[in-house]
Amino acid sequence: MKYFLYWGCSLEAGGKNYLVSLEPVCEALGMEFEEIKDWNCCGASISYAGANELAIKTLNARNIAIAESSGGYDIVAPCSSCYIQMVKASHELKDDEKFRTQMNEILKEGNLSVKGTTNVRHIMDVLYNDGDVDNIKARTTKPLNGLKVAGYVGCQSVRPYGEYDSVEKPKIHDKLLAAIGAEPVPFPKKMQCCGSGIFLSEMDKCLGLVNEILEDALANGAELISTVCPMCALNLEMFQDKVNAKFGTNFDVPVVYLTQLMAAAFGMDLKKDAALNYNVIPPEGIIKAAIGG
Amino acid sequence: MAKNGNYDPAFAQEVFQNVDSGEEIKMCMQCGICGGSCPLRHEMDYTPRNIFMMIRNGRRDAVLSSKAITLCTSCYSCKVRCPRGIPVIDVMHGLAHYSIKQGIIPRKGTAAFGGEFWDMVYRIGRIDEKDLSRRYYFQDGIVAGIQGMLGISRMAAQMLFHGRVKLLPERKIKGIKALRKMIDKAEQMGKGGASA
Repeated sequence: MKYFLYWGCSLEAGGKNYLVSLEPVCEALGMEFEEIKDWNCCGASISYAGANELAIKTLNARNIAIAESSGGYDIVAPCSSCYIQMVKASHELKDDEKFRTQMNEILKEGNLSVKGTTNVRHIMDVLYNDGDVDNIKARTTKPLNGLKVAGYVGCQSVRPYGEYDSVEKPKIHDKLLAAIGAEPVPFPKKMQCCGSGIFLSEMDKCLGLVNEILEDALANGAELISTVCPMCALNLEMFQDKVNAKFGTNFDVPVVYLTQLMAAAFGMDLKKDAALNYNVIPPEGIIKAAIGG
Repeated sequence: MAKNGNYDPAFAQEVFQNVDSGEEIKMCMQCGICGGSCPLRHEMDYTPRNIFMMIRNGRRDAVLSSKAITLCTSCYSCKVRCPRGIPVIDVMHGLAHYSIKQGIIPRKGTAAFGGEFWDMVYRIGRIDEKDLSRRYYFQDGIVAGIQGMLGISRMAAQMLFHGRVKLLPERKIKGIKALRKMIDKAEQMGKGGASA
């Protein structure tokens, strides 16, 4: 099946291991990706400091308009922030005629127009519903043999619309982990926010959030944390030393993308495909031990 | 200014008219589930429910200078749980935007970070993470910039070493001029208030 992959700004930098690993995994599951030509930033969750709501929605309507006019395949967003910004605009374009008319007046400035017929989907939705759990199980040649993983869902991958999973008690991340042989641990804080886009500017306050998430994951026996968002991954992995300094803890737990675990379980190259060398807290030893080399 | 407990519709009218999603607060029934669901509620001076009541009470200065309106992590818990369907997060972002536009700036760091973020989107159409953090930390001059960067230097070095920094220089998207025209038009047509 063909899709537009809207990988966004983060996956070109801090979230590189996400982009590198998702491509071979999705290809193995029969997905084909195209880039949205000349795409722009989604505005993330912090643009309100400089722009009004309509301007931020314009960014997303432009991407949707370009996708619509060049094939109209479903747009897949691996970054939860990109996903939520785009799906928000997409819902309004579909449901609100007044908004659609207003947006078309704006897009006319760039000779574009939009109908709102294109779907925007998170990569977890696509992996689970199109990639298919049975297909994923069949493709798993090196199962993770009961490796205890905390499937961190975070905020914007399911909230607020809950298009493909529960907004209060999501299960798909855990089901995908189980499909590749891991043991998803119960993890009540899987929905607590990591601090997201205000992490750098409000670090002192957000470190407490990360502390609680890591503590909960480890208390429930997790050896590894799996994420599906570059912001979550960055905040959970890169600030563990600051959490340790502030709270006197001793965290040193690898944080990987779900697609990195899938690439490893699919028997792919741990560097070239699973991109484990991009992680700062090395997950390679734990994963190798689980899959048996 | 009206005292707490009294209704003063002037500020509420200002919010309905000028603040993005401001009119949504009309539905608030003061149940407080927004504050109860917020991950940073313990850091806020007022919860969203308080803020909405204060708007009805006409407490303009207290609302627009409240740190609560810029402490939103955008987790959407409040929006999901509000029994009256208020997109609480959008109201908080709208208030923060309006406050910054009025030059009030309740939290300097987030206003500066978000401001740099948006400037970069407007300038090149995308975000270049390395340049965003550099611009953010150096907004107050070289000394503050070096101090700020030192605070994250270990992290930055680790990320660079592990291939997670984009080394290419910032590049504009091809359609940047058209994108700016669209954004300008949206700024004109939407709410959000004029600059102070």
